[in-house]
Amino acid sequence: MVRRTTKTRRQFIKFFATTSIGLSLGSSDPAEASPRKYGKLHDTTKCIGCKRCVSACKRWNKLKIDRDEELTDRETDLTGKSWVVVNLTRDKRNREDLHYQHWTCQHCIKPACAGVCPVKAIKKLPEGPVVIDEKKCIGCRYCYQACPYKVPRFDFEKRVTRKCTMCHDRIPRVKPACVTACPVGALDFGVKQEILTKARKRTEEVGGYLLGEHEAGGTDFLTILTTTPEDLGLVVAPKKVVNRDLDKLRITSYGFSGASLLTGLMYMYSRTEEEETEETEEKE
Amino acid sequence: MDSAIRTGNAKSPAYYIWISSLIALMVLGGYAQIMSLLTSLEIMEFSLRIPWTMMVSNYVFLVVSSTGLCIVSSLGHVFGMKRYELLSKRCVFLALVTIIFGMSSIALHLGHPERALIYNIITPNLRSPIWWMGTLYSFYILFIAVEFWFLVRMGMAKKANSSTDLKQKIYSLMVARKTDETPESLKNDHKWARIAGVLALIFGLSAHNTLGAVFGHTEARVFWYGPYYPVYFLFSAAFCGYAWLISATIITYKVKGKEIAGKLKKLLFEMSKIFALLLCIGLLFTSYKLGFGLLNPAKAKSIMLLLNGPFSLPFWLFEIAIGSLLPIIILLYAAYKKKIGGLLTASIMVLIGVFVMRFDFLVVGEVYPMFSPMGKDALVLVPSFFPVLMEIFVIAGIFGALFLSYTLGVKFLPLEEELQ
Ligand code: SF4
Ligand code: SF4
Ligand code: SF4
Repeated sequence: MVRRTTKTRRQFIKFFATTSIGLSLGSSDPAEASPRKYGKLHDTTKCIGCKRCVSACKRWNKLKIDRDEELTDRETDLTGKSWVVVNLTRDKRNREDLHYQHWTCQHCIKPACAGVCPVKAIKKLPEGPVVIDEKKCIGCRYCYQACPYKVPRFDFEKRVTRKCTMCHDRIPRVKPACVTACPVGALDFGVKQEILTKARKRTEEVGGYLLGEHEAGGTDFLTILTTTPEDLGLVVAPKKVVNRDLDKLRITSYGFSGASLLTGLMYMYSRTEEEETEETEEKE
Repeated sequence: MDSAIRTGNAKSPAYYIWISSLIALMVLGGYAQIMSLLTSLEIMEFSLRIPWTMMVSNYVFLVVSSTGLCIVSSLGHVFGMKRYELLSKRCVFLALVTIIFGMSSIALHLGHPERALIYNIITPNLRSPIWWMGTLYSFYILFIAVEFWFLVRMGMAKKANSSTDLKQKIYSLMVARKTDETPESLKNDHKWARIAGVLALIFGLSAHNTLGAVFGHTEARVFWYGPYYPVYFLFSAAFCGYAWLISATIITYKVKGKEIAGKLKKLLFEMSKIFALLLCIGLLFTSYKLGFGLLNPAKAKSIMLLLNGPFSLPFWLFEIAIGSLLPIIILLYAAYKKKIGGLLTASIMVLIGVFVMRFDFLVVGEVYPMFSPMGKDALVLVPSFFPVLMEIFVIAGIFGALFLSYTLGVKFLPLEEELQ
């Protein structure tokens, strides 16, 4: 009995200490260091735009193959059946500078999509992937609205929202389908901390920009770009956690103040007398 | 034609034409819905990139109206304004009908509405405004229904007691066999209606706040983000409530060929002044939103879509002219000249304007940011923002069902104002 109490107390202290350290360090770092946490990396400077990653993704996830997948440089968009797209991006300041970019869910460390799903169909797994439970999704598409990159797309046949799962049904035993398929090693997968170190080093080498290091509070999919996302004309996400709960509370409190104000006005109105029109009407 | 409507009796041809056209609209909506089930939901959408369109805007339109009607009705039996009690029954009935069809609108938009019922209860996400909205509105519907039942119980009991056979059976079933007509039971009804009314108001306003929060919380949609919508929706609810109540009352009296006089007339004119005031507040809100929005470069692009882009016609013509400015002028003129027709025109104009406004605010918010790796502008990726035919059919069906419910309600339920 005594032992149990001590243990609980110790657990409490441990819990308290880790949480406060966690809070003071910022939420992402202690989690990053976990050896069970994985990340994916794309290096646009190495990519040759062969789109084998796209085909591999479709094969593994049994997604319908459509016309856009042909080897063209036409712009392709994510859909409920295309979880990965490869597109040519052009640097606005240096129009000659063209690179292929492998684009998919960024697997945010603090995913905005999971925060807004009304039925908790989206989960951030401890290994890193952000996964939608297709048996649970009600198809409201709020996750699409909340995602800073507009990734989760609606599948009109299945009537649910779908997106990249970072092959959570393969990893970490086997690397994600796209990574295995890449012929030139433009894609990489591994323990997050190692991937991050590698990515930082490579970014420095090529003098580029590491997308996902800070965007949306950090993401588990990283992309080495040759220049900033602004210059490439990509969607620019804020460099902080998107949809923080505190902001949500703040905004809701404004709403409640508005409601109280309205109720107050209604009360004041209800105390007013009936207008004197009767008299004037009679006079007329 | 006019006189046919005026007779207001169920046998007149105009009545049958009205009912059959509503049923035709419902058939149209049902057809579109079945087609979407047989083929794919895609036939309802004009772009994968803009997933919330008319079904959602119609939902917002109807639930905002319902909250507004609840606000107006609570002036009567919650805040104790005797003169407003006159319209309580009609008002609460409209609130009930609009919320039911508003909810149907969103249910038809969901991919799997049946799952929503289950997982909202089993795995709630308390961080999600949609969860709060759904849950609070469910309670709201319950309380509004209870409130309405207590408001009309006496009237239905009278009908039950004065009729025979099947009619009597149905009415007594509707009042759960409480066919008691004593003044004590009426007092009791009032007490319970008031309690349900207070709860409906509390849940209605809270649900409404979370409806605004669905948009206000979405940081990735700059146009919606911030406390503006939760607050603005409340005030716009109030004027929508007035618009519905005024137009429904006047039309019903016109169709029945009855004169609006005495207390009711006075109340309508009083309401029209508050209505005009609320419209002015709404206009101030809009100018604030646009003015301050333009200062923020992230929002300015979306706002320009309204001011001088693909949405400029709906914005200037429907939102500003038809939905705000003209009705304010007409209302003031009508109040001055004591013209009931003016109130009706202004209310209908506001309803049309607000319906368009809900669509605009929703779709404009979804245009930016739009993912385009080659840096194409959203207006190139989505060339037209006009809703597709199938979606329009479903909305038409919903309105058909809504008007039919109201017509039947007026016919079979004791919604009459007791003018004596
Ligand atoms: S990128 Fe979008 S979909 Fe992917 S985890 Fe982040 S918020 Fe969710
Ligand atoms: S579409 Fe599905 S996954 Fe996305 S928020 Fe709605 S229920 Fe959740
Ligand atoms: S497989 Fe590799 S090289 Fe080919 S498009 Fe994908 S990331 Fe680029």
